Amino acid sequence: MLKLIQTEFMKLRRRKLVWLMLLAALVMPLFAFIYFNYFGETGVDPIQFYRWSAFGYTLWIILPFVLGTLCTILMYDEKQYDMLKQLWIVPVSKMEYIYSKFFVVFIYSVCFMLITAIASVLFSVLPGYVVFEWGSILYLLKKCIEIGVITTFAILPILAIAASQKGYILPVCTTLVYTFLGFFIVSINPYLHPISSMSVIIMRSNDIPGIVQAINIPLAFLCIAIWDIVALLVANISLERRK
Amino acid sequence: MNDYVIETKQLTKVYGGQTAVNNASIHVEQGRIYGLLGRNGAGKTTIMEMILGLTSATSGDFTVFGASLKGQEKKIYPRIGAIIEKPGFYPNLTGTENLEIFAKLRGTPYPSAVKNALDVVGLPYKDRKTFGKYSLGMKQRLGIANAIMHDPELLILDEPTNGLDPIGIAEMREYIKRLSTERGKTVMISSHILSEIALLADDIGIIDHGVLLEESSMRKLEKKNRKYILLQVSNTAQAILVLEQVFNQKDYTVHDENTLRLYDTGLDMSAINKTLINGGVDVISSALCNDTLEDYFKRITGGAGIA
Repeated sequence: MLKLIQTEFMKLRRRKLVWLMLLAALVMPLFAFIYFNYFGETGVDPIQFYRWSAFGYTLWIILPFVLGTLCTILMYDEKQYDMLKQLWIVPVSKMEYIYSKFFVVFIYSVCFMLITAIASVLFSVLPGYVVFEWGSILYLLKKCIEIGVITTFAILPILAIAASQKGYILPVCTTLVYTFLGFFIVSINPYLHPISSMSVIIMRSNDIPGIVQAINIPLAFLCIAIWDIVALLVANISLERRK
Repeated sequence: MNDYVIETKQLTKVYGGQTAVNNASIHVEQGRIYGLLGRNGAGKTTIMEMILGLTSATSGDFTVFGASLKGQEKKIYPRIGAIIEKPGFYPNLTGTENLEIFAKLRGTPYPSAVKNALDVVGLPYKDRKTFGKYSLGMKQRLGIANAIMHDPELLILDEPTNGLDPIGIAEMREYIKRLSTERGKTVMISSHILSEIALLADDIGIIDHGVLLEESSMRKLEKKNRKYILLQVSNTAQAILVLEQVFNQKDYTVHDENTLRLYDTGLDMSAINKTLINGGVDVISSALCNDTLEDYFKRITGGAGIA
């Protein structure tokens, strides 16, 4: 399994888009910088700044969409260039294959959120909007890692769809619908969709200002678990059928 | 009992309502090169995919190294090297990087396995050209390098010389022959190019429309297709008696009560005719024939020839 994960990273050589997508981690910190610069505020509450830079659209839209696209990229080449036959006769099992892709998405997601955290600190502390203090930075890092980890699980259904399709159009379109659906459904019933359930888990302490939710952590985990189990089954069945 | 590396029993594959392979029973002996010959779409790739477990058989059974593949993939696959259809690799990686991925996944017998495999197929080691920019021939060579890199006992090669230039084809043929003769590897190779199979294979399976029409050793097939004198006579038994007594001939085959084939083509046909007539045998016709493998293929497939 470890060898398989290592080879997954070897495959990402010269994949410019994969690395360029990491730049999306800078979008919201930059936007927060422009926003606070516009109002010329200093001495801003760090959590208020981070709410803009890391806990807002990065959590809801940008990270899920980037991860969905990454899932599609990871799956596309092997199907497009008929490589799966070569992998199956190594042999690589279908589930090992899915897990190795999942692990790459997991590492990428955590790195993405760490970049967001670092950018948030730089864009808030260097211009002087926020006073440097370890407490708020550790809080930001903790939340960013949480987001990175849980979003990977929330995006697993997209990995399953990418595994079941030969092309990339449907998985990318599904990523868009899936992401925005998660964003909109949160106000109706957050326990129906993994992304909205993920937000419930992230905001479980009601410590992010402006966002107060009724919290049911087990239900949120159950929602993600059900979606993920179904996704794994779908991925496994579709890879088997491809035989 | 023969030591079969691959043995299929009544292997059948139906896609939708269409039968791609129909009751194919194939026997690949250890250390020999088995050529699967058939036109495009005859079912060669499907047979190989079933043997490799890449597609399930609708009915029938098969063994690889004497065992069922199912449930023993981790034991059996490392003993097999294969190319099925076009070789697939990561287009953003170089040939060396692609092979390094498979070397890491499989494990290789020695550290320089990637370099050695590339040397064998004549591709550069640590080249900067990515697979996406390779020509068809280079892609095919890389596929072969990947198949042989882990020193497998059995090679299953689906049209491996597709896209290679004539020199490349000759080099590859020599290499595959050496693998079999010097290192005892078993090779199952498919092709729609008859001359390729004729030059390479020890045993041959002829497949047409999913049906394995003939399975034979190349030697037997050559005997069937060598030059001969075809004699149509009134009485073959009497003709044989005359031929054995006068010409001391033993190398002949009798096809029916009026037809026989005499394989010593150095004999004078007019002398044969005269002797047979003098011996009381009416000669209806006599002709020097030379069946090629292609003629044979045409005959048994009941249709057009093959390249």
